Amino acid sequence: MFGLGNPELGVLMLALFVLFIMFGFPIAFTLMALGVFFGYFAMGDLIFSLLVQRSYSVMTNDVLISIPLFVFMGYIVERANILDRLFRSLQLAAGPVPASLALATLATCAIFATATGIVGACVTLMGLLAFPAMLRAGYDVKIAAGVVCAGGCLGILIPPSVMLILYGATAGVSVVKLYAGAFFPGIMLAGLYMLYTIIMALLNPKLAPRLPLEERNVPLSTVFWALVTSFLPLAGLIGAALGSIIFGLATPSEAAAMGSLGALLLAVGYGADYTKRRNVLLVQVYGVLMIAFLAYVIVCGMTALDVDHRIVGLALFATLAVGILLIPGTSFRLFQLKESVFLAARTTAMVCWLFIGSFTFSAVFAYLGGHEPIEKFVLAMNLSPTGFMILAQIIIFVLGWPLEWTEIIVIFMPIFLPLLKTFNIDPLFFGLLVALNIQTSFLSPPVAMAPFYLKGVAPAWVNINDIFRGVMPYMIIVIVSMIMLYTFPQIGLWLPNQLYR
Amino acid sequence: MDVFAFIGGPKEIPLYAFLAPIPIVIWVFGTEFKDAVRRTPNASTGERLLYLVDSLSTAVGKTYGWAILILTFTTSYEVFSRYMFGAPTDWAFDASYMLYGALFMLGGAYALSRNSHVRGDFIYRAWSPRRQAMMDLVLYVLFFFPGMLAFVYAGFGFAELSRRMNEHSSASPNGPIVWPFKWMIVFVGVMMVIQGVVEVMRCIMCIRSGEWPQRLHDVEELEKVMLEDAEKKKQAEMKAAEESGLRRGDV
Repeated sequence: MFGLGNPELGVLMLALFVLFIMFGFPIAFTLMALGVFFGYFAMGDLIFSLLVQRSYSVMTNDVLISIPLFVFMGYIVERANILDRLFRSLQLAAGPVPASLALATLATCAIFATATGIVGACVTLMGLLAFPAMLRAGYDVKIAAGVVCAGGCLGILIPPSVMLILYGATAGVSVVKLYAGAFFPGIMLAGLYMLYTIIMALLNPKLAPRLPLEERNVPLSTVFWALVTSFLPLAGLIGAALGSIIFGLATPSEAAAMGSLGALLLAVGYGADYTKRRNVLLVQVYGVLMIAFLAYVIVCGMTALDVDHRIVGLALFATLAVGILLIPGTSFRLFQLKESVFLAARTTAMVCWLFIGSFTFSAVFAYLGGHEPIEKFVLAMNLSPTGFMILAQIIIFVLGWPLEWTEIIVIFMPIFLPLLKTFNIDPLFFGLLVALNIQTSFLSPPVAMAPFYLKGVAPAWVNINDIFRGVMPYMIIVIVSMIMLYTFPQIGLWLPNQLYR
Repeated sequence: MDVFAFIGGPKEIPLYAFLAPIPIVIWVFGTEFKDAVRRTPNASTGERLLYLVDSLSTAVGKTYGWAILILTFTTSYEVFSRYMFGAPTDWAFDASYMLYGALFMLGGAYALSRNSHVRGDFIYRAWSPRRQAMMDLVLYVLFFFPGMLAFVYAGFGFAELSRRMNEHSSASPNGPIVWPFKWMIVFVGVMMVIQGVVEVMRCIMCIRSGEWPQRLHDVEELEKVMLEDAEKKKQAEMKAAEESGLRRGDV
């Protein structure tokens, strides 16, 4: 009855999906059912083998393997209770700068959210920790709310982030290149946030009063020690995971597995019982060894010598051994590990079932030729590549109001992707712009996760409108950074081009 | 190698790896259900039935969820072995996708029992529970069951063919059998259908009473826990303020 080339049917399928998404039924099953129904009309019994083949390709997808591992790493870091110390140490370090608390908040958010990748947790934790601290110090509510919300969302942009893996799996772009490409835009966005905050504080010191002198004048050694014991290990973990991916030492899934193991060791190390002389000594010896190892790697890098793999292996082995020796008496208990495992299982199931639905749906959609009318429609608008790019970004921005990033990436990206070829746009570059754009989906009403989470944990007198008003400038900064990336694509493309010619 | 001779060679390991955790599943199932009974002493038989199925899905999801830890260790070992001994393993790749596949597939019903599958809920959230339940009920019947039954039906043919051919993995020279991994699709589909029936019962109960029935107690996302805590604290503060206001009024 229906055969190949029923583009109208494809468009109907998409329209029905958009309609049904509003009814709030789990999206994975909506996608799967629509795929099966329309597929059955179009190709009869063949749909069953298509369904199972697409599901099986999700089950054996070597890109998606890194999702559970990164998610697991994130939950361990989240449950390891390290945020307090991280924030305090960065606050000490930022002491003399204007708006120091806000900057420390942004930096803490950036690094914690990057390690965990969980926006909600970062915003609520910082909403309980940094937000009251800023209010107590006399900060303006709007600027305090803005930095907590904007900073908490950085984790899905700065690699290693799960979002880029999802985009890579959907668009068929190498995750390694995406990570290399997103590195500088991520840093740039965090830097712009900080710059804006400092400028605002300088223009109007009432917005962010300086801390009292006694809190600013901390001896440098204290600051240094605080950074070494809290900031450095986490930054090292992220740096090692990201570095080994970008420099091709390990695949993303291998780096994620090492990252999870590292996060476990880190959690044990943070919670270890340092009243015992033995443990302190152990960590000190380990620290010296690591400095020597780092020096060796840097020297090798500068003289273009090959790093001896056995020495890398020894460093890994030493890390593992120290971690195991620190286990007795650590405050990271079995139940925290259990919670991380169960939460990781649930989150992974959610994301990967969404992929099963979306793979099936998009296969049927492509079979029906649903792209054609959309493509014709877009081509009829006679857009230049720039015009198309702007239109696509505006659509994604608008989709971000009601939807969350998972849905946008997994469901709506496949619709844009064939058009990229028509307009000769690099999917890698497009992905970087989307990654920046998605930041706004957390901040824009009505489904603004970050402001609502903050409202939920903030003191009762903090008004949601104040939070939204505080977030607004940071949303504009996101758009500014998108324009900058579009005008100077080298911000994103330089590193991948340099590394993988 | 005698051990391998007994189980039919190292290539048969996946089958045993999938079956070995079953005693643990049963044990976790028992503890989960006992816990549910202890927490809700006044539950009706219908609710008990819900908890029974919930406990089963939870036990499967949680037990096989530990695959993430094994995946962490095996993949790390692979990297370590490659760099330290210059000898990449020939089993790590097959192990990694099977562990990952088992982890998320067998977690599907668990996530369903926790209502963790992502919804586009910007309108849904504003509805009354009764209206939510009615919409869910219709869509479970219209979407969920046809989709899942197609999944089971398709999966059966796929997996049975693989078993008859005694299919081995072509991803590595080691080539372990893959049919247990494919059979998992059928098993998971059936579990999803059973859990779906329970979710439908929840919808009906909610339409009757106007309130969503309770779910099993479980670990929650940090933000959810903290938001609930903050909410409770605010309510307690308001109550305290009201009471002190009243007392002052009395004076």
